Formats: sequence, structure tokens, C-alpha cells
Amino acid sequence: MATGEPGSPTREGMALPQEQAGLCPTDTGGDELSTGPEEQEELLAPQSNGPVRPADGQGDAQEEPSDKELSDSASTDNALEDSSEFGRPLGVGACEPGGPLAPPTHRDEDVTAASWRARRKHIFVLSEAGKPIYSRYGNEEALSSTMGVMMALVSFIQSGDNAIRSIYSDDRKLVFVQQGPLVLVSVSRTLQSEQQLRQELLYVYYQILSMLTQVSITRIFERKKNYDLRRLLAGSEKILDRLLNLVESDPGFLLGAVRCLPLPASLRDALGTLLQKAITPNLVFSILVARSQLVTAVQERAVIEECRLEPTDLHLLLNLIGASSAFQAGEIWTPICLPRFNPDGYFYAYISYLDAECTVCLVLLSTDKESFYAVSDCKKRVEEAMRTQGSLQVLSGGLQSPSYGVGQVGVPDLRHFLYKPLDIPENYRQLPQFTSPELEGPYCSEEEQHRLFDLYHYLHSRIHSTSRPLRLIYHVAEKETLLAWVTSKFELYTCFSPLVTKAGAINVLTKLLRWIKKEEDRLFIRYPPKYSTTPNPGKGAKGGRPDGAENGFFAGL
Amino acid sequence: MKPDGKVVLLGDMNVGKTSLLHRYTERRFQDTISTVGGAFYLKQWGPYNISIWDTAGREQFHGLGSMYCRGAAAVILTYDVNNLQSLIELEDRFLALTDTASTDCIFAIVGNKVDLTNEYALLLETEEENRSEKLVTSCISTKVQKQVHLDDAVALYKKILKYKMLDEKDVPAAEKMCFETSAKTGYKVDYLFETIFDMVVPIILRQQAEGPLQTVDLTNCKSAKRTKSGCCA
Repeated sequence: MATGEPGSPTREGMALPQEQAGLCPTDTGGDELSTGPEEQEELLAPQSNGPVRPADGQGDAQEEPSDKELSDSASTDNALEDSSEFGRPLGVGACEPGGPLAPPTHRDEDVTAASWRARRKHIFVLSEAGKPIYSRYGNEEALSSTMGVMMALVSFIQSGDNAIRSIYSDDRKLVFVQQGPLVLVSVSRTLQSEQQLRQELLYVYYQILSMLTQVSITRIFERKKNYDLRRLLAGSEKILDRLLNLVESDPGFLLGAVRCLPLPASLRDALGTLLQKAITPNLVFSILVARSQLVTAVQERAVIEECRLEPTDLHLLLNLIGASSAFQAGEIWTPICLPRFNPDGYFYAYISYLDAECTVCLVLLSTDKESFYAVSDCKKRVEEAMRTQGSLQVLSGGLQSPSYGVGQVGVPDLRHFLYKPLDIPENYRQLPQFTSPELEGPYCSEEEQHRLFDLYHYLHSRIHSTSRPLRLIYHVAEKETLLAWVTSKFELYTCFSPLVTKAGAINVLTKLLRWIKKEEDRLFIRYPPKYSTTPNPGKGAKGGRPDGAENGFFAGL
Repeated sequence: MKPDGKVVLLGDMNVGKTSLLHRYTERRFQDTISTVGGAFYLKQWGPYNISIWDTAGREQFHGLGSMYCRGAAAVILTYDVNNLQSLIELEDRFLALTDTASTDCIFAIVGNKVDLTNEYALLLETEEENRSEKLVTSCISTKVQKQVHLDDAVALYKKILKYKMLDEKDVPAAEKMCFETSAKTGYKVDYLFETIFDMVVPIILRQQAEGPLQTVDLTNCKSAKRTKSGCCA
């Protein structure tokens, strides 16, 4: 398929630009493909200079033949795939994303503009048939030929029994991840390593799973290779948009840990006890969150024995909740998948805000889809008890200053830090955590924050390098000096003013560590509480597979 | 505490179910994003608590549709007057979800987003006779031709009665149960919800007279439980 005549207009989405076709010898050499900047440009802007693009390549009328071609070529190993089977034309149904209700977003961006190409990081999701599913900037439909080229690259390398992982150009990295029938591509100008970009793509994939589950996606594409997954994801673009913004600004994703709201240990314990009491059968997790920071989380005892609540799952869950502001008045009851816990099963999530300002949110996960009223009743008990305790006011009031400033540490020259403890006792390894102060000047603008996080990402990639891992890095950057240090007890990233000396920085670290030690009861959940909600544990909760049958509603597709 | 009566909003995605409810409860229009799962609201109506379930139109949430509809006293089927397919979907995909609703459940069919149509100005004119000519003409120029007419909704209503094997004489008239609204401007939104709440009250009384749980519900619960433990073992 890769050698298909590039000039033929019917193969528009699939045909390879000649430069790329010329790469064939490289891919057999290794799985990493390096290309020059010209090829890169080619991939980013096939609309403008792709040699094979027909003039009307983006029209709706072109959609179908193009899909057919893609579907055929993507399944070279399965020539029997009936490409004539794709049923619904795209125009059918009210399911097109972005009706008059949707506010203007990055979706409307002109994908041929220079500003589009200059974006820091593009993320694309497409199906194996080359069908666009998601693009961070610009309408994914307008990008169908670009995504076609991406799929061409993937399947071209695949046809040589190999897999494309990345392309490096002077100023950009292109990273490819294939997960089942989905292909995810990142085009980035950041300092992040390939590994980190790959991790981000996996977050995107997991967020999609959290809404659809892996088994449904696989089944859908088994049945119909050229299915338009946007039918099921319509309206979820904002959830993915928000996730990608979070990934760039919340170090929790980089560190694989959750940040807790700093609270007196007594208050946190009291709230934990409260959640422990408000239970009903089949309840698995009770999570209390204040402005996206974890207050406390209680887990079903039988569940932790087999598995635990992964920080990733918690991040994705909180992102999903944070994205649906329309719900702040009511109580939500929704099936949701925790992909790291079990990518194929749904939990039923009860989500409700406890205060009028929508800062304090209670999330209860059950395995019983009928238990809405029972779980809603648990929430009422929690809410009442919190009101009598007065803790609700403390939580929402305490959020005026959501975290703490670096000034509280009381050492000069220290601007910011990330600290992830590793020396935690086994019984609370259940939930990896980290702490960091609020970002203050000079890191107030988005641009400066990106710069700082780029540096953190760089240090993180050096520390966790697979070929040459480091334990300590002292890095003098243009406007600041950074020091990263990993021991068996912690992982620490610090940022200092540029004038600090190496000896001075080490000295500050000692003080910082002493401060954290003193504050650790306030900064972390020291002993995550548990409960047993089901008299016969291990049955209702086993493997978090509440009902495989629930996925049966795709039968009609 | 369980609410006394239950009203469910159903309809394809992007027809404005959440916006309708938001207009009614919060008195304003908000651009919302796609609903995940279902959202539950309580409304005090006289001495009764009426719960309203706002559901997601996306088809992967259909698994919960029957749970949302169980024992419902009223179902509001919503479509977009500018999108014929959204009316067709009501019959094709959503009607079956209402099988678990109460046997005397009432149905309302609501065409939302009339503000986007060229008929909207005329509707307003008939509402308030003294509306200025200027506004009417300025409206018409930017609007589109309406795709779904009230007659189509009335026809669907009659089909539903046939599907439910109900006699037209025993239920509210089709003309009374087909609405056209605009969540954006608030046009007829209060009227819609209040009409329905008034109709739900007699059903609540009847349900309460019949006892707390109907036999149908109990067996439903039991069979659901059995399948669950079977698949988890």
C-alpha cells in the first residue's frame, strides 16, 4: 500500500509524500526514525504542500471514498474487511460535535495558519482506519488529510514488521503511540523527553477509556474498522482539552502522585472517619476533594488487597468532574471506568458538590448501578455530619489560600519545589503523594510557568533516563538554578534564584527537608483510611468488574 | 428520603436537555458541555418532592437509561426543531428506554431551540400582540427554516400511545403534550415544566395510594441483583 501511486486523487488520505516514501531503508535499521526538518514540515502541513493532495480533499463528499481507502489499506492483513459496510454517513444525526450550544474554542482554529503550526504541543487521536477522532487545536475534520499521512507513516512502518515510535527534527519531537485500534500522536516543541510525551499520550488514551472502556472500543472497531468514534465522544473534547492543559501545569501527572490539601491531621482524620461511617453495600471508594486537591480518600479493604486507587485514575476522574460545570447544581450518577484499575469495567460514580460555591466535592464509587438512592443517602449523612462538625466551613473557607507559599519554609533563594516521599510505610503506599507550594513570582505568567515546568520535565527525564539514570543534578539555567535529588526516601526537585551557589543550595535543601518532616502530618495523608462495605468482600468488588453485561448496549451498533 | 415523583428528560445529544433544566432551575442560559451519565435534581412542588433526571444523550450511557426511567411519572422527550434526525432518534432509540417507567406515566414531546428558527418571531408576535414590527423583521433575516413542525411531534405522540397501547381518550391530548421551547431565551420553559408538574401530582397521589413499591419494581430489583452477582463471581 505504501507504494500506491502518490498522484492518484482517490488515494488522497493515504498516499505518502515522496520524501517519506524515500525513507524506507531507515526503518529497517531500527525502530526510531529520524528525519530532517523538511519531512517534518511535510507532516505538519500536508495541506499546503503535500504533493498528492487533491484540490478538494477536505470536502464532505470526499469523506467516504477516503475512508474506504484508508480502511482497506489499514487492514492489509485482513483483506476480507468489508469496507462497503460503513453505514451512517457523517451528516446523520444530531451527534455532530459543536452545535450552536458550543462556545468558540480551539476547534475553530484555522489549521492552515502559521499560528496553528507554531503551537507548543499538538495532540492528535485517530483510528487505525485513519479517521480523525480528536485534535487539540483546529477542527479534526479539517485535519483528516494530515491524520491520513500520520496513519500512512504508522502503517508503512508496520508493514515492515516494525513500529514507529518517534521522529526528531531540529525543534520538534513527534511521538507515536498505538493502543489497540487507536493511534495517538504528539507533536511537541517542549523540552519533554520522548518517554514523557509518550506518558502524556497514554493519559489521553486512558481518559478516553474512562468514558468508553477498552473492551467497548475494541469491540466497536472489530465490528467496523472505519467507525467514527466521535459519535461516542462528541462533547468530550473539552474533557481532553482540559486534561492536556492540566498535564502541562500540574506536576502530579509527571510525578505520578496526587497532591493533598494541607490540613491539620486531626481534621483530616475526622473527615476520614466520617466517610468510613457513611457506607452502603458495594461502595468501593469515597473521595473528598476541595478545589481539585485531595482531602481524603477511603478505600474498600478487599479492593486494596488486590489493587489500589492509582494516582492516574484519580487525576482522570477529577479532570472529568472538573470539566462538567453544568452539573454543579444537581447530583450526578454516571458509569465511569478507572482504566488503570480495570480498563474493561464500569464503576458507578456519584458526584455532588457540598457547598454553594462548588469547591468541596464528594465522589462515591459503587459497583452497583442501581444503588443511586442508597449512595445519595450516604452523601446526606456525610454532609450533615460535616455541617455539625463545622468542617465544611473550614474546608471551603480554608480555600481562600488553597495551598501554602514557599515563604513558609523560611529559607531565602528557594523559589519552588516538588517533593514526593518514597520512604512511606507499606500500608500507605496505597496512594503516592507529593507536595509543592503555590507558584509565585516570577512564575505568574503562563509562559514562565511553562518554562519552569519544561525545566522540571528535563530534570525528571535525566533522573529517570533508562540509559543513564542520575541521582543528583545541579542545573544552572538561564534565569534560575535547579537541583534535583533522588534517594531511597524521596524524590525532590527544587528551583532557586540564579545567584545561589552549589554549597548554598545543598544547605537550603537540608532546611527544606527538615521543614517537610515537621509539616508532613499536614501535607500528606499519613494513614489512608479503609472500610469494609460488603459483608462478603471480594465478590462485589473483585477486579472492579461490576458488570461486563453493561457493555452489551453496543450490540446494536 | 426518596422523592415522591420522578420526571425524566430524554433525547439525543445536543438537543438542549441540560440547558432546558438549567433555564428552569437557575433562571439563566449557560453554554454547557456534554452531559456525562445523568444528573439528579429535586424540586419542591407544593407538598411534594419531584425529582428530575437529566440524562446524557450519548449512546454509551444508554445502559443506565432504564435505571433513570424506572417508576417515572413523566418522561419529557426532547428534540431539536432544527434537526429532524433528533426527532427520529426519539422513536428509534429512546422510546424503548421508557419501558420501565410507571404504567400511568405521561409523555411530553418538546422541540427545543425554536429561537433559531424563522418562525420564532411570529411565535413571539402571537404571544405579545404589541411587539414592535422592527424586531420581528430583524429576527427573520438571520433565522433558518424550521425542520421539524409541531405536527411531526403530534404524530410521534400518537405513535407512542400506540406503542404503549394506550387509548387516546385516557391520556392528555396530543396538542397539550407537544411543546416548543427555547432554553436560550426562556420561551415557554416554565410553562413546560409547570404543566408537567401539575400533571404529575395526581400520579403521585395514585402511586402513594397503591403503596410504596409496585410489584413490578420488586421483581425488577431482584432479577437485576441476581445477574450481577452471577457475573461478578
